[in-house]
Amino acid sequence: MAPLVEAIELKKTYMLGKVPVEALRGVNLKVESGEFLAILGPSGSGKSTMLNMLGALDKPTSGKLLIDGIDIATLNDNQLSDLRRRVGFVFQFFNLIPRFTARENVELVMSIADVGKAERRKRAEELLEAVGLKDRMNHKPTELSGGQQQRVAIARALANNPKFLLMDEPTGNVDSKTAREIMNLIKRLNEERGVTIIMVTHDQHLAREAKRVVQMFDGVITSDVVNGEPT
Amino acid sequence: MKARDIFSYSFSAIRLRKLRAGLTTLGVVIGIAAIVALLSVTQGLQNTITNQLETGLATDTLIVVPGRGFFSEGGTSIGGGFGVGGSDFKLFINDTEIINSLSLDIETSVAIIRKNVYLQSQEQSLVVTIRGVDFAKYAEIYHTTFVADKGTINLNPANDEIVIGKALHDPWENGTLLFNLGEELEIIWTNTTARPPENVSYTGRVTAVLQEIGGFGVGGPSDVGVYIPLEQAQHFFGTEECDTIIVKLKTSERDVINAVSEAITDAYGGEVSVVTSTAVLNIINRVFSVIQLFLAGIAAISLLVAGIGIMNIMIVSLIERTREIGILKALGMKNRTVLMIFLGESVIIGLIGAVLGIGAGWALANVVAVVFSEGGLFGGIASGQSAQISNGGLTIVPVLTPTVLVGALIFGVGVSVIFALYPAWRASKLKPVEALRYE
Repeated sequence: MAPLVEAIELKKTYMLGKVPVEALRGVNLKVESGEFLAILGPSGSGKSTMLNMLGALDKPTSGKLLIDGIDIATLNDNQLSDLRRRVGFVFQFFNLIPRFTARENVELVMSIADVGKAERRKRAEELLEAVGLKDRMNHKPTELSGGQQQRVAIARALANNPKFLLMDEPTGNVDSKTAREIMNLIKRLNEERGVTIIMVTHDQHLAREAKRVVQMFDGVITSDVVNGEPT
Repeated sequence: MKARDIFSYSFSAIRLRKLRAGLTTLGVVIGIAAIVALLSVTQGLQNTITNQLETGLATDTLIVVPGRGFFSEGGTSIGGGFGVGGSDFKLFINDTEIINSLSLDIETSVAIIRKNVYLQSQEQSLVVTIRGVDFAKYAEIYHTTFVADKGTINLNPANDEIVIGKALHDPWENGTLLFNLGEELEIIWTNTTARPPENVSYTGRVTAVLQEIGGFGVGGPSDVGVYIPLEQAQHFFGTEECDTIIVKLKTSERDVINAVSEAITDAYGGEVSVVTSTAVLNIINRVFSVIQLFLAGIAAISLLVAGIGIMNIMIVSLIERTREIGILKALGMKNRTVLMIFLGESVIIGLIGAVLGIGAGWALANVVAVVFSEGGLFGGIASGQSAQISNGGLTIVPVLTPTVLVGALIFGVGVSVIFALYPAWRASKLKPVEALRYE
């Protein structure tokens, strides 16, 4: 079976004004279904660029990135949008729509994917219950704590049954106690529901929670460790 | 994303900024209200004037005047008064006999001598247009309007008899009389063809006051008309020429009207114009179309200003919501859907603005109509040639035609959408990576 994600000699060069910046300089990576992978690296290592590629938000300059067997370089804007629906994005700053309640935020992604009204309501309630927000689902983000907002974001990311969850510093904006709770939730999703998780972080402690840790530096992968064993 | 969900998303975005959306909508309301008010008042005025003209213009009569082209159907020249300058052609009183012989469809015809004179009583002096007509024939043609309210119209009148319209008798309708029945009036005419020009005059007596006619009385009797016997006019003005010949037909069928008009025009080698009621009404309608277009154009400018307001607010909204757009795109929303969300907002603003605008415009039109009708602003026009005499004013009933209604709705929404196109397109083209990074 083809891997869920496969990067082959993936390169990305940005123009910073007139200066070209090589954010990715030939990344090779395979992620299989069911994995819990952390991409670890300091700022400037290329991990955010990698995240954008994996989220189909950006296209590579050269090389290939196959998501679920599809080369994202060959897709137009519309097809990229379709592909993004198969990726569950969890952002560092939650990125909920402030005027919508928790439930409406979860429903929104399903309405983007043309899910019927009754179905999306039912599913949003189930998901919010699963992340422990059963009694907060009619609250707006401003009425929720950071941890609760991130749970809503996770529920939202799961709404369209994505191929994998793509997380950008998921605990970067909450206190340590909440961070622990969020990490437990993420691990549970991986272990109990078999959700594939790719988490991008600069935090070594956090990265250690993952089963596999890929370290990036200066646009390339410098190490790839599974359960403490280098691959 | 389903249309209903897009619409609901647009609506939630508008609701978030109620004041701003309200003010933007107000711009559309004002623009549409101005258009609707102006058009429905103009339409009402046109209807009123058309009705008045139809009262004054019997449909089975033709008016023959010397001169080419004017008022003929399809003609485009609009000169001053009947007939077009530059022609030396004259109509004579006995031309009625020639005209009568032209068609079996002609019942009778009557010549009118028209001159501007001073009409002077002991207390009053007024410039009026006096008409010399054959009382018997004129009364036959205009049997519903050339009818005495006071006194009698002698069908075989004495030379000094004068018939006056209602507005010259009791213009204010409060018992204060201008010229009274039985009063002796001096008619003074300046003969400008004499060298040197000289004033001639004679004294006549008011023997009849016409009943109120209303309308403009084109060709036919009017409330401000002064009528003297034809022979007296010939003698007093020293002329055999006449200004107008009124032709009464046996029928008001359009084909007959056209055939007789043509026969008369041909008989005079195109040197006369035949005015038909339909031609006059056509011209009036044409003039009103231009007026309406002009007024609607002015009102449309205010709507364009509103459109620019919409564009401005949309661009501000776009900048404020850059991050939101980034999130939506990261969640898989298509460019097209983002475009539709922004256009949806403009449709909502345009639709609400247009509906409220139509209501406001209609209310405004009614207020304007009441003010104009009662204030007698058109009193002068209503009384026809003499601005000094008020005829009580016109009553304007504003008319909101389905065309204006639907047009205003489409125009309001259309302008909103057109001005939202650019911001919406920009929003749809935002790159998700950059939009998400936007603070």
